[in-house]
Amino acid sequence: MTTTDSSPQTPTPSLGEQSPPAPVRNPWLIVTIREIMVKLADKSFVISTIVTLAMIAASVVIGAVVGNRTSDYTVGTSQADAAVVAEASSEAITAAGDTLEVTEFDSEDALRAAVLDGDVDAGLVAGADGWALLGGSEVDSDLSAALTDAVSQSVLAANAEAAGTTLDELMAGSEVTTELLDPDADRGALAFIVGFIFAFLFYMAAIIFGMTIANSVLEEKQNRVVEILATAIPIRQLLYGKVLGNSLLAFAQILLYCVVGLTAVNLTGLAGDIGWILSASGWFIAFFVVGFTALAAVWAVLGSLASRSEDLQSNTGPIITVIMVALFVGLFAEGIWLEIASFVPVVSSVAMPIRMLAGDVPIWQGLVSLALTGAAAYGLLRLGERIYQRAVMQGGTALSWRQALKLQA
Amino acid sequence: MRQADARLEVRGLTRRFGEKVAVDDVSFTVEPGQMTGFVGANGAGKTSTMRMVMGVLVIHGGDVLWDGRPITAADRSRFGYMPEERGLYPKQGILDQLCYLGQLRGMSRGDAAKEATRLLERFGLADRVKDKLESLSLGNQQRVQITASLLHGPSALILDEPFSGLDPVAVDSMVELLRDRLRQGVPVLFSSHQLDLVDRLCDSLVVLSDGKVMAAGAADELRNAGPTRYRIVTTPDAGWLRDVPGVSVLDVDGPRAVLELADGAREPLLKRAAERGLAEFAPITRSLSEIYREVTR
Repeated sequence: MTTTDSSPQTPTPSLGEQSPPAPVRNPWLIVTIREIMVKLADKSFVISTIVTLAMIAASVVIGAVVGNRTSDYTVGTSQADAAVVAEASSEAITAAGDTLEVTEFDSEDALRAAVLDGDVDAGLVAGADGWALLGGSEVDSDLSAALTDAVSQSVLAANAEAAGTTLDELMAGSEVTTELLDPDADRGALAFIVGFIFAFLFYMAAIIFGMTIANSVLEEKQNRVVEILATAIPIRQLLYGKVLGNSLLAFAQILLYCVVGLTAVNLTGLAGDIGWILSASGWFIAFFVVGFTALAAVWAVLGSLASRSEDLQSNTGPIITVIMVALFVGLFAEGIWLEIASFVPVVSSVAMPIRMLAGDVPIWQGLVSLALTGAAAYGLLRLGERIYQRAVMQGGTALSWRQALKLQA
Repeated sequence: MRQADARLEVRGLTRRFGEKVAVDDVSFTVEPGQMTGFVGANGAGKTSTMRMVMGVLVIHGGDVLWDGRPITAADRSRFGYMPEERGLYPKQGILDQLCYLGQLRGMSRGDAAKEATRLLERFGLADRVKDKLESLSLGNQQRVQITASLLHGPSALILDEPFSGLDPVAVDSMVELLRDRLRQGVPVLFSSHQLDLVDRLCDSLVVLSDGKVMAAGAADELRNAGPTRYRIVTTPDAGWLRDVPGVSVLDVDGPRAVLELADGAREPLLKRAAERGLAEFAPITRSLSEIYREVTR
């Protein structure tokens, strides 16, 4: 028989001479690492993560600047008693986090000129029949309130003395104290914002990483790589690796967002005490991991049922609906409905952390709900494994769940 | 250095798709160190048989034996397999995905990278290792696919149409790589429509038609099966041969004739031919494609 050893290359002794290696021990781990490396090498993923991080940090900082801006006021006087009154107002101004500097001028004309030039924010002048506050085009409302208050205090005190009594006696019994019957409700606005962020993060990550899983499964099915993979490792291991790899990525991303967000909140002093946000965030991350794992198996099955990427657009409808329900229940459900939702797997991933933000939830409820989601995740993974193994080897048209279950393994 | 010689045996393999029996009681053996060609028309059941051997299609009857015992998943993970429908990861770098496949088969990443680079060099793809698969021409993608099946030093090779789409140079480098494996005592089963290639390369042959084995065995045995035919050229005309006892003339065309000889008829024939003028006398070796056409007719 003719041979074709006509190539000039001489066979080199090499690894090719060795016997094939023993089967790999933890194939799922290799799959997991590949899923992560491929995603990290994906520029659009990296860029979108960085942009989101920047937006989170920026929104916190902007919120802090707008809500907590401090001002340094300067007030000018040309009279000794006006200076005393202006100094008296500084207590109220400092309490609000602002500062006050009092400058004395030689004459009222010099003072007026300084106010006009903007050298001082306002001027305080005592007249024969009352006091005057001088400003350029306007006087800052906080400064005006503090000075007006100081003037009236000083005048009232003088008048009281003239009437043979003291200011304290005149004011006795006029104090109003506020008693909060539900101090937690004070969190209201901030809790709603944090809850909204939780719900939205879950929604985004569940869909983005879910689609990644489905596409990754479909890519292997479509290109028939799965046929080669199936001869190398048990096909289950492929599913485990994909679910784990993408869950880890989603988890790491959420953790990163939370850490950056909370650090920014802490640094800017936006919320005085973030302990309650921190503990709710911890729960949120725990619920996120379990809830996402439950969904991940379903996404993988959806990928294995499709035969082209167009099929994914139609067959992912139901799971996206479930994720939307989780989002809206978390945002809008109240009372008993929210409590029920906080025990429904997947939906609870948003609902329970939001309950925890709003007030104290017994810790056992959190654990029970977490366990329920964990059980659901396990069940879905096992069911998903059965369908995935059958469907992913099946070429041709897109399959329904029912058809896939009927297929032979 | 040869690996322990193991043969791949297929016994009574059967597979149905609905009512249709796609593979019907198929039996054959792929001997260690031998190149076995698997031929048959489209839909004859070659791909289904190979997929059952590789365990990616459920077997409805019969067994696959490796080294004399039922094949296991661990055995298959050491095989090299090239599926009919090509495909690796289009958007991943070539070396990167070859390393991944090597790792899944138990190689270290370093070994996989070294071996993949060596094989890609032999296919002239050394400067493309970082490129994405989809950026390569189809022929080059095919070479990467072959590399994937050879990477881990497989204990057997199951290749579905490995030569389709390759230019003659690539076919030669591929054959050379396969011969390396054959020298290690690895059995190779490959299917092909290119009968001339099969004829040139195969040590043995399995012919499939409508899911049934029509012929199977060593290529030389198949070629020499049946009575030997001879071609004779004698001047000026071969018509006289019809009158020679023990000679049956199958075909005459002027001075040329095709004969079958009874025992003991050869010497008298040659003697008479020499007297009349003998230009040529030789046994006819049938090509495998002729055998293929005969058995599938």
